[in-house]
Amino acid sequence: MTDRSEIISRMTGLLYPFILLFGFYIILNGHASPGGGFQGGAVLASVFITRYLVEPDRCIRLKTLKTAEKTLFVCIILYPAFFLFSTTANHSELMNLTYLVAMNFLIGLKVCSGFTIIFFRFAFYEGGI
Amino acid sequence: MTENIFLITLVVLAIVALNTKKLRRAVVYLGAFSLVSSFVYLLYGAPDVAIAEAIIGSTITTVLYLVALRKYQVFSIYYANSVGDQTSRYLNDNSTFLNNLEAFLIQREMEPQLIYSGAPIETIVDQEKFDLAIHHTDQDIWIYGCAEDYQLDAVEEYLLTNYGDLNIHLIRCAEGEDNEA
Repeated sequence: MTDRSEIISRMTGLLYPFILLFGFYIILNGHASPGGGFQGGAVLASVFITRYLVEPDRCIRLKTLKTAEKTLFVCIILYPAFFLFSTTANHSELMNLTYLVAMNFLIGLKVCSGFTIIFFRFAFYEGGI
Repeated sequence: MTENIFLITLVVLAIVALNTKKLRRAVVYLGAFSLVSSFVYLLYGAPDVAIAEAIIGSTITTVLYLVALRKYQVFSIYYANSVGDQTSRYLNDNSTFLNNLEAFLIQREMEPQLIYSGAPIETIVDQEKFDLAIHHTDQDIWIYGCAEDYQLDAVEEYLLTNYGDLNIHLIRCAEGEDNEA
């Protein structure tokens, strides 16, 4: 915003770690409790989006985020394929757990980068001003 | 019982959001609407959906709407004067005109941004991104605007009612190619 508010910037600075912690909690605990990759990723993206309200500068690196999103997308496709076709024997409990947590984590990071890209694309490049 | 109360609150919030005059206030009501609706999802036993609705509905869309409103609000006015020697007289005469125009735009919830330019009007119209370009010559005031801008109609009406005695010509240009960001 044009007139930055000191209160908002201080308070969001205080809140960042907690939002991040909550997002990672939702992602990593998604297989057992409500939540999961998508919701946690959206929480993580809200960190970047509130950062825009505090200091609207262009120092965020969209290109890196785009590469990260593409890599994560390939990982999301490849990992279940390997998981399904690699072992023919019955999957143990621990393997399933790691699979779920890892998939949630990948999806969460991908959703986070996707939301951030959409938002900053919109905020900086669309609409002419 | 609790569900009914919150469902009625939802309907009330939706109606209020539709009927507010200021867009920014409507966005805030919409955020409250999604918060209440996420609580209703929680009451119906869908915590997963409730989390998604609370985050996307009340955080991300609210911020997105606010950014969109802010982008649309900055209204840049280019002002080029080619009166020559009698500038002082016209500038005094004209500053009230510009001030009134700015006050009118502020009243319509916009942020006017006035840019004085010494460049000839043709280059401004060709090259700059403007919402209004005002060219002041000896007798006439030429106002250039973008044809797709719906605010231009209101500006025209305002100018005709208040400054009918001045020679004001309004020209609607097509959206230029370099106006794309």
